[in-house]
Amino acid sequence: MPDLILTKHLGPDRASIDVYLATGGYQAAATALRQLTPDKVTELVEQSGLRGRGGAGFPTGRKWKLTPKREGETRYLVVNADEAEPGTFKDRTLLEGDPHAILEGALITAYANGVHHAYVYLRGEFFLGYERLSRALGEAYARGYFGANILGTGFDLELTIHRGAGAYICGEETALLESLEGRRAFPRQKPPYYPAVRGLYERPTVLNNAETMAHVPHVIAMGPEAYKAAGPPILYSVSGHVVRPGVKELPIGTPLRAIIFEHSGGLRPGRTLKAVYPGGSSSAILLPEHIDVPADFDSLQKIGTMLGSSAIIVMDDTTCIPALVARAVEFYRDESCGKCTPCREGTVWLSQIFERILAGDGRMEDLDLLDDVARNMTGTCFCLLGESVPPTLRASLKYFRDEYVHHIETGACDLAPAPLAVGAGEGRA
Amino acid sequence: MTPGDRAADGFADGEFRAARRPAPSTGQGTEATRRPAAAGSPAATPAETAGVAAAPSVPMVHLTIDGRPAAVPKGTTVWHAAQQLGIEIPVFCYHDRMPPIGACRMCFVEVEKMPKLATACTLEAGEDMVVRTSTDRVKQGQRGILEFLLVNHPLDCPICDKGGECPLQDNTLKFGPGASRFVETKRTYGKHVRMGPVLVLDRERCILCWRCVRFGEIIAGDDALKGFERGYHSQIATPFMEPVESKFIGNTIGICPVGALTSETYRFRSRPWDNHHARSVCPHCGCGCAATLDIRGNDLTRMRAREHPEINDIWLCDKGFFGYEFPGSADRLRTPLVRDGGRLRDATWDEALDLIGAALQAAAPEQIGVIGGASGTNEDAYLLTRLFRGVLGANSIDYRADTAFPQPAARAPWGLGQPISDVERADVIVLLGCDLTEEYPIVWLRVKKAVDGGAGLLIANPWTLEIARWARTAFTYRRGADAAVLAALIGESAPEDASAASGVEAAVLRDAAALLSGAKRPLVLAGRTALEQPEAAAVLARLAALRSSRPDATVGVLRGRGNAGGAQMVGVLPDTLAGYRPLDDASARARVEAVWGRSVPAAPGRTVRDMLAAAREGDLRLLYVVGADPATSYPAAGAWQAARARLGLLVVHEALLTQTAAEADVVLPTLTYSETAGTVGNLEGRVQRREQAVLGPGEARSDSAIFTALAARLHDPFAFSSWEDVSAEIAQLIPGWAEDARIAPPPITAPDDTAATRTAVPAWTAVRGAAGTTAGLALLTGVKLFDRTATSLRCPGTRALAGEAFVALHPEDAAHLAIADGDLCEVRSGRGTVRLAARIWPGLHPGHAYVPLGFEAAPVATLLDEREAAFVSVRAIAPATRQGR
Repeated sequence: MPDLILTKHLGPDRASIDVYLATGGYQAAATALRQLTPDKVTELVEQSGLRGRGGAGFPTGRKWKLTPKREGETRYLVVNADEAEPGTFKDRTLLEGDPHAILEGALITAYANGVHHAYVYLRGEFFLGYERLSRALGEAYARGYFGANILGTGFDLELTIHRGAGAYICGEETALLESLEGRRAFPRQKPPYYPAVRGLYERPTVLNNAETMAHVPHVIAMGPEAYKAAGPPILYSVSGHVVRPGVKELPIGTPLRAIIFEHSGGLRPGRTLKAVYPGGSSSAILLPEHIDVPADFDSLQKIGTMLGSSAIIVMDDTTCIPALVARAVEFYRDESCGKCTPCREGTVWLSQIFERILAGDGRMEDLDLLDDVARNMTGTCFCLLGESVPPTLRASLKYFRDEYVHHIETGACDLAPAPLAVGAGEGRA
Repeated sequence: MTPGDRAADGFADGEFRAARRPAPSTGQGTEATRRPAAAGSPAATPAETAGVAAAPSVPMVHLTIDGRPAAVPKGTTVWHAAQQLGIEIPVFCYHDRMPPIGACRMCFVEVEKMPKLATACTLEAGEDMVVRTSTDRVKQGQRGILEFLLVNHPLDCPICDKGGECPLQDNTLKFGPGASRFVETKRTYGKHVRMGPVLVLDRERCILCWRCVRFGEIIAGDDALKGFERGYHSQIATPFMEPVESKFIGNTIGICPVGALTSETYRFRSRPWDNHHARSVCPHCGCGCAATLDIRGNDLTRMRAREHPEINDIWLCDKGFFGYEFPGSADRLRTPLVRDGGRLRDATWDEALDLIGAALQAAAPEQIGVIGGASGTNEDAYLLTRLFRGVLGANSIDYRADTAFPQPAARAPWGLGQPISDVERADVIVLLGCDLTEEYPIVWLRVKKAVDGGAGLLIANPWTLEIARWARTAFTYRRGADAAVLAALIGESAPEDASAASGVEAAVLRDAAALLSGAKRPLVLAGRTALEQPEAAAVLARLAALRSSRPDATVGVLRGRGNAGGAQMVGVLPDTLAGYRPLDDASARARVEAVWGRSVPAAPGRTVRDMLAAAREGDLRLLYVVGADPATSYPAAGAWQAARARLGLLVVHEALLTQTAAEADVVLPTLTYSETAGTVGNLEGRVQRREQAVLGPGEARSDSAIFTALAARLHDPFAFSSWEDVSAEIAQLIPGWAEDARIAPPPITAPDDTAATRTAVPAWTAVRGAAGTTAGLALLTGVKLFDRTATSLRCPGTRALAGEAFVALHPEDAAHLAIADGDLCEVRSGRGTVRLAARIWPGLHPGHAYVPLGFEAAPVATLLDEREAAFVSVRAIAPATRQGR
């Protein structure tokens, strides 16, 4: 196994700047600010192949290049730390275990993009993360890594931590911007304007995921080639029916089978694999026969699902699939922002049908109805929140139809209720 | 109800309105204009958000929609491009007065090379784009959306006000599924929440299109309604379900695509198809908003905006939307009344007219005075001048019943020399002593659009206006300092000089002056507060100076209610003839004499103030009041009472027994705005036609009918058989007179009396006596949109909206006087005393007391003086008793 890069130093004392500096912290920032031009930094990041870790996997360097750099125009950097995708806890791990890495990445990113005010939009429930990130920021300010004339280079950067108030939709980048501006978090229309061009306060805005930020210092410190050769690394959040759940730093493209059986201790004794979410609850579930696929953006997309936030939720044979999907639908029902019709109304309708089926009042025609309602939500929602519901629902109807039929015919579930670790690892501060 | 009915009635629905508009429209794909903080940001221009045709220099893009070629200006949305071809794409959330939001997902189209269905309202038309609006995929998508909207909709159409004019019904019929697959329990809410006195919300019917919320954010700027909760719990509400605070909330009822927002005054009153419609014009503030009256039988069921691009666009303020019902009041005067033994008794028309005719014949022309004429039609006002100026030779006629300043009044025409819509094109707008949202609310919507487009708003007023948060600069100044402030703003005097007089920091004045001097298209709107005061001549002189030194500047005087604009146009003034022509212009007189066949006396008549003075001297014996209430509205009640006491005969035309009517010797019952036909003017000088909607009560007659009957009794009969005949005669005197023509009032000219035009700094300082006393707080009065006048109180909606009268005090003054919010206070001036509850108001400039006009319980006119500013002492006489507000 190659050396750990992102998670090498994780620990409860990492908010201390001295602890961070002792492991070479802020040296990448110093190198960037003192020795590299902003364009050079961007170039290095582009050469590294770093792709955004928020879910879409957009090449980070290219994103920066798309942000217009007009003289005299204010630009912003917004770090999306509103991690709330069920099963995803990699950002939280970094926020709690190595907060300076995110701050240093933000500093380098701000420098590369000529940004003088950055925001971290932090999930409101990350109490410990907030405590540690705040402490880290305070100490970094005190040592001159933030504020005016950073490291004597003449570069100024203010960074503001903004805490969310408990809405999954705020992880959607444009809803995040609305929320940051003080409005109801409704996603914004795009196209024609993307945040890179017209973002926070209508100004060009670099919007990056928190984990992405943590990669940036390593790209600078190692150089793009060495970084690439090291994997490049990615953090998989593994949860569910495995023996050792947790954040796994592995080279991107590690096959699901290896992630589950080598790095997460495999399943509980005597159990067999039933299904896997490869990229959070928004990705379509996979069956055991799919798990030799490399867990990277392109391979997973090819088989109709996605890497997303690289949250792998493993389900063994104790899992009731209709109950699983019902729970996921409930989540999206509760988190729908209410802006657009299909997401707002479709999720609650689906949820009602599921409740009825799980209560033993299902009808055979409900199977077609579920599929049809899901189809009417497909490609029709304003943003990806509503679009997250149909893939797994429709996949489950295809792969596990007999389980639904069994529920409808018998009005009961043969499986012992197995609390599924959707979102395992969340919420414990 | 057929779609045709709806298309014809001007109801505020984007799809139908746009269908009637031939010009291509742009629906700019940005929501920039909803951001108040967007000053200087690349916001959409007003033209873009208005959906009007783009400038000719914009390149064209070519696309095909359903196989038909279309060429539209770049930036046009696919929805508008389809509209241009007459292809209907259904919408709920999109409204063409606001940027698209893309929320309802109803307007799906299929576009070649796009993997997913696209929403036509947000999609900008692209070159060579191939769009299909009715493929199976599109139909499936639209059916799916309608099914989603209907699963939780109560389908209580039989008892829903909207039924019959409901986009949800209509779109379901055309695009929806034929059957329901929903077997679950519908989402329920407590029914019909009263959001204050006029707005009723049904959350079950709501389809969460967000139109109403965005109206408050984008159009009105009052954020009256907001979205609360999230997802399927989302609902429209106010914080803590407090009564909605808005002056424009009626519009949300109009644009609601379902029956979620309904009007308290219209609920369950009519089925839409039972209403018939009359073209009308709102009678209230002087803007003359185009409106439609709906009538069932002889019952006015509602008033709605009628689209007029240059006046009110498609909006109405709530005074208009909810203030239409007074004609139906049981208190209407139904027969003439004659004073007999000290009491008014019913009389026949013959008796009343004989009495008046004889008195008019007996009086010398200079003994006759006429006040009013601004509440009827232009034709009514014109016949007033024809009777008094032509038949009787009396020039003392004046529509400005509620004003004592400026004197001399000549050269101070009221109104706006440009269409109201042009307000949007100004780059700097100055509001000087003009409480815009209280006085002329619809103009604010244009100012708001200008501000959204980047214009700077500068507010100078003795108190803080509710729209101050939209201003680039807003400050308060001391009473009477209007001219000094204006002099500093236009660079005529040093900011330091004006600072001492006005109590405004010099730096603030300097910044404001810089904003104005840097403007390319400045607009200065001076209002009642700046002009209804002894120092008004100095303000006029500054306005005239600004106009002559800045050819790029537009100056408007926003004064006058009802048909004041029409009265001014046709010459209900002591020194002015029809078409604003001066009486001392011999050729103007000759032209009038030629048309009338009568001589017109050359000597100017008296203004209202001079008429009352002459009456007190015994020189004016007969006062004829036409649809005005000087007993309560003339700004010096004592002056009125003294004049009234010495009049030989007081004749009043009225629809309701106002204070003036109650004091009259003869009261003639007249018809209201809904009961007569003709034309009316407004503050931009627009001539609009108004239809008769209902029949008047009892024997009430129009002003025109009364003047015609009197002319006949004076043996000089008029030869008119209809209002159209009268209008045709007006056209002989006013070039360009025609329906929808704008006969712009002439510009302000400097008053002749140079002494009065000096920026006389009023010699006063706020005097505080010993603790608990004042020797003089300067009294300010102001208009409130929702007041308690005779007409407002007889409309259930506006009556419910009106608060109680109050005296507002600055916290410092209140603390000094030991007055707490809500305390009952005695307000005393040298002229009189009134008792009012105190309201502590930090927005008021210290050293002042503010009392609203138009509240019968607060006869503020008793405190005022017609020659000098009023100062009052205020003391608490009883602590606050009411619980809460």
